Amino acid sequence: MKLNIENLTMRFGENTVLDSVSISLKDIHSLVLIGPSGGGKTTLLRILAGLEEPNSGLITINEHQLNCSEQELLKYRRRIGMVYQAYNLFPHLTALENIVLPLVQVHGMQKKAAEEHAITLLDRFHLAEHAFKHPVALSGGQQQRIAICRAVAIKPEFLLLDEPTSALDPEYTSEVLDLIEELREEGMELILVTHEMGFAHKAADYILFISDGGITARGTPQEIFESKDNPRVERFLNKVLKYN
Amino acid sequence: MPDKKSFLSIFYQKTQNKSGSSVPVKPWVLILNTFIVVIVLAGLMGFGFSRLQYMFQWENVWNYRVNMVNGFLMTIAISAGSLIFSTILGVFFGLAQRSRIHILRIFSRFYIEIIRGTPLLVQILIFFYVIANAMGINNRYFAGIAVMSIFAGAYLAEIIRAGVESVGSTQIETARAIGLTKKQTYRFIIFPQVIKRVLPPLAGQFASLIKDSSLLSIIAIKEFTMAAREVNANTFSTLETYIPLAVGYLLLTIPISIITKRMEKRYSYET
Repeated sequence: MKLNIENLTMRFGENTVLDSVSISLKDIHSLVLIGPSGGGKTTLLRILAGLEEPNSGLITINEHQLNCSEQELLKYRRRIGMVYQAYNLFPHLTALENIVLPLVQVHGMQKKAAEEHAITLLDRFHLAEHAFKHPVALSGGQQQRIAICRAVAIKPEFLLLDEPTSALDPEYTSEVLDLIEELREEGMELILVTHEMGFAHKAADYILFISDGGITARGTPQEIFESKDNPRVERFLNKVLKYN
Repeated sequence: MPDKKSFLSIFYQKTQNKSGSSVPVKPWVLILNTFIVVIVLAGLMGFGFSRLQYMFQWENVWNYRVNMVNGFLMTIAISAGSLIFSTILGVFFGLAQRSRIHILRIFSRFYIEIIRGTPLLVQILIFFYVIANAMGINNRYFAGIAVMSIFAGAYLAEIIRAGVESVGSTQIETARAIGLTKKQTYRFIIFPQVIKRVLPPLAGQFASLIKDSSLLSIIAIKEFTMAAREVNANTFSTLETYIPLAVGYLLLTIPISIITKRMEKRYSYET
């Protein structure tokens, strides 16, 4: 994936969340955003997902410039996959219906073909037995894995994940991370916001440390986790890794 | 399902056990408990009437049965018409409050506050003698349905707005993220969930609508209550006219309860 951001600024009222952020990355397969809460990483991800319009700045992903008309953004969102922290699934639809809905309504697949496709996918990730259950009957981990299935079912250009394990019990965290890792190994490109430092270390090609409205540090996992030259990063890592 | 099409299905079919999860009630328990409630209520009423020592003279009222039935049919016609049009108004103004068009939101607010804040009696009089008159609407039945629809529509609009707002913003955001258009989001995500949540208050509102239609007697629409009053004036058999009146309204409102309970079941998705 090629990602180019120029002078990206995002304000919510008086509050500047991202302050002229610029970065240029090439040949990245998995980009991980880490950093303290409120630092702007979720906002950055939401802008990259086409869900939020920045106040100013230019973003180019894979030679495709993000256009700021809602019509263009809608088209863009249809090409990518997005997974939220929690409550991704629609409660009135079964797991299968959740996956089938965008395939049929957004991507114009026949219902039958969409269902077969969804079942194959659920089967692959050992979720087939839950196909006809409603979200309320599923554990948080199962819900999140089904949400990821829905996001990849459309064969997205890349996958965006916003703290996909933050709302889960530790027990379920690893099953969700395993699934993400499996997709990554298959070549699914992804941008992930996470607090799971172990996973960031293992799965990232490149890490951006985002705090105070900007990119405080950037580099490969080795550079971020092993070099001690950035006090802001070190302070954060010491805190989050204290009991690891 | 033991409650197939049974009249009793309007009563609760489930109860909570000690741990709070719901379990179905055994059919014989349902029948026994219903029986006990009916006996106690009938006993209380019977005691009251026996103390009154009222001499029922049903034959007086029986002679006016055609008037009563005509009034009943008029109430059905007015209620059915108002039910349909008030639903249309309710959905429209419920959604208009979330519209991107500012003036539409203001208009909805005014409509809802004015209608909910003033007596129906006044609304009927003003609509019939001022607005309908100015617009050249002379048909009092049409005017009656219109004013009842406008009245109930304001309440329905608030019920529907609350229902739509109860669908969490994260779901709407997820709908955007998977690429649904606004229209698709309403159709596939919001409405299916709103229907289930608004059914109970909707049922209450429709029952009120049926009973409130009795106020239309002031513009000389001979509906059920008006018919009963006339019969009473002619026969002086008060209870003999008003008890059938109550039963008649129950015959209209109970089916609404049954239908909405059924629909609730159809749209339920929580286990």
